[in-house]
Amino acid sequence: MTETIVITSGKGGVGKTTTSASLSVGLALRGHKTAVIDFDVGLRNLDLIMGCERRVVYDFVNVIQNEATLKQALIRDKRHDNLFVLAASQTRDKEALTQEGVGRVLDGLQQDGFEYIVCDSPAGIEKGAHLAMYFADRAVVVVNPEVSSVRDSDRILGLLASKTRRAERGEGAGAQHLLLTRYNPVRVEAGEMMSVGDVEEILGIPVLGVIPESEQVLAASNSGVPVIHDATSIAGQAYTDAVARLLGEDVPMRFIDAPKKGFFKRMFGT
Amino acid sequence: MNARTSGTAAEALEAADVRFGQVGIANVRVRNADPATLRAAIELRVREAPALFERAPVVVDLSFLSPQPDAAGARALLQAIRDAGMLPVGLAYGDEATDALAHQLELPLIAKFRAAYERAASAQPAAEHATHTATAAAPTPSAAGEPVTALQHPHPVRTGQQVYAQGCDLIVVGAVANGAEVLADGNIHIYGALRGRAFAGTAGDKAARIFCSEFRAEIVSIAGHYRVFEELPSSFAGRAVQIWLEHDKLQIDPL
Ligand SMILES: Nc1ncnc2c1ncn2[C@@H]1O[C@H](COP(=O)(O)OP(=O)(O)O)[C@@H](O)[C@H]1O
Ligand SMILES: [Mg+2]
Repeated sequence: MTETIVITSGKGGVGKTTTSASLSVGLALRGHKTAVIDFDVGLRNLDLIMGCERRVVYDFVNVIQNEATLKQALIRDKRHDNLFVLAASQTRDKEALTQEGVGRVLDGLQQDGFEYIVCDSPAGIEKGAHLAMYFADRAVVVVNPEVSSVRDSDRILGLLASKTRRAERGEGAGAQHLLLTRYNPVRVEAGEMMSVGDVEEILGIPVLGVIPESEQVLAASNSGVPVIHDATSIAGQAYTDAVARLLGEDVPMRFIDAPKKGFFKRMFGT
Repeated sequence: MNARTSGTAAEALEAADVRFGQVGIANVRVRNADPATLRAAIELRVREAPALFERAPVVVDLSFLSPQPDAAGARALLQAIRDAGMLPVGLAYGDEATDALAHQLELPLIAKFRAAYERAASAQPAAEHATHTATAAAPTPSAAGEPVTALQHPHPVRTGQQVYAQGCDLIVVGAVANGAEVLADGNIHIYGALRGRAFAGTAGDKAARIFCSEFRAEIVSIAGHYRVFEELPSSFAGRAVQIWLEHDKLQIDPL
């Protein structure tokens, strides 16, 4: 059984690529043969975050245009031999992706026995984002706790309910999960950010995880080691929890409350 | 040879697509023939709800002016609307004079609320029908006395989506998001939060109502009478409300 999961959001810069990298590593760590595909043609950066940018010889577009085989283009992860990356092309324009071509690549991965295919969607609601979600069985909607991100996610949820192959075949929208990223409990408490509850209520779908804002995310990206590998980082731990929930486990939410102030701070408000 | 001809025809067709869509478009009813006065009135509306009205396409209804302006007069009125920030795209369906005016201005004639011109076309019986529906208890029964039907939408209406119940009520089970739009010729029932826009009685039925279980709307309208909410009044923000029209004024009350 192959399950295709799209990581999408509408808005750019919310953490889709960070999430695609950590969730696919997490699935591989749990023993599942996983492929992660960068749909952001022209702006590839999944390979950077996965630390394999120097090993990209052929990319997604090459496979779609029959210039390379899937086998040639799949880059095996350095740490996990059941994890593969399909990089986006930096040089082609977005028109290079076609629905037929994407379908063919996904079928090929299914035949190769992949259990999970994680699709890292570009921002926007144009062709690339549409193709990334079209074949998905499940969707992880990445949202930051702020109004504009929530609006864009709502729009994406509308598209997921109507513009996917499942929807066209009348099979329903498929599972949808909310993943809050860059969550800062202190700012939520101060009323500067929306809370998990606010976002969940507006979007009306279940929360897969809450990833706290953490400096280690940028450090991890820069070193090409997805943050889920960093067991000392709360963002990494939150991604590990999210992977467990993706696999159907019941794991309590962590890192969503601001640290309690000590007795003196509470008394004297410093 | 035949195939060749159809080949070129197919190529020629590729240059453009013609599609039909349901477009929500505002009507500007002009009640004063002075361009400066009209401009000031429109500017006020645009300033009140820029997100809704700035560069919005509008259909201009001149039928409230008598006599109707000549081509030069109409051009000045259209320019006044343009100067105020809206974009006239056509004239509302009227009488023969409107028809001639539309030809002179090279603008399309666009049907306004169906009820408005059906009434005009067959004045007597339609007028009776109108009083009948006005006094009948809502929901409005159809002319033939058939049971009222409704369009059921058992999902949330997401940002950017539009749901229109033509000729009947609309029932939404779920929230209507910010930036989403629900429209019905009849009543609108929302079992969830209304955070976007709701337009009831879009064919002109002033007896139509809007009900929702959590009021946070951006805009509501009944039979074209709208209200924009920049700020939600605390008296009914987040509460279950009903909205109706009384003497052409929108009324909102907690349920
Ligand atoms: N939990 C987090 N804490 C801090 N920074 C984050 C977090 N998640 C993502 N970022 C940062 O946000 C930026 C955008 O992330 P990215 O995954 O590229 O977003 P997208 O793919 O949605 O455009 C990057 O600089 C990334 O390091
Ligand atoms: Mg990205």
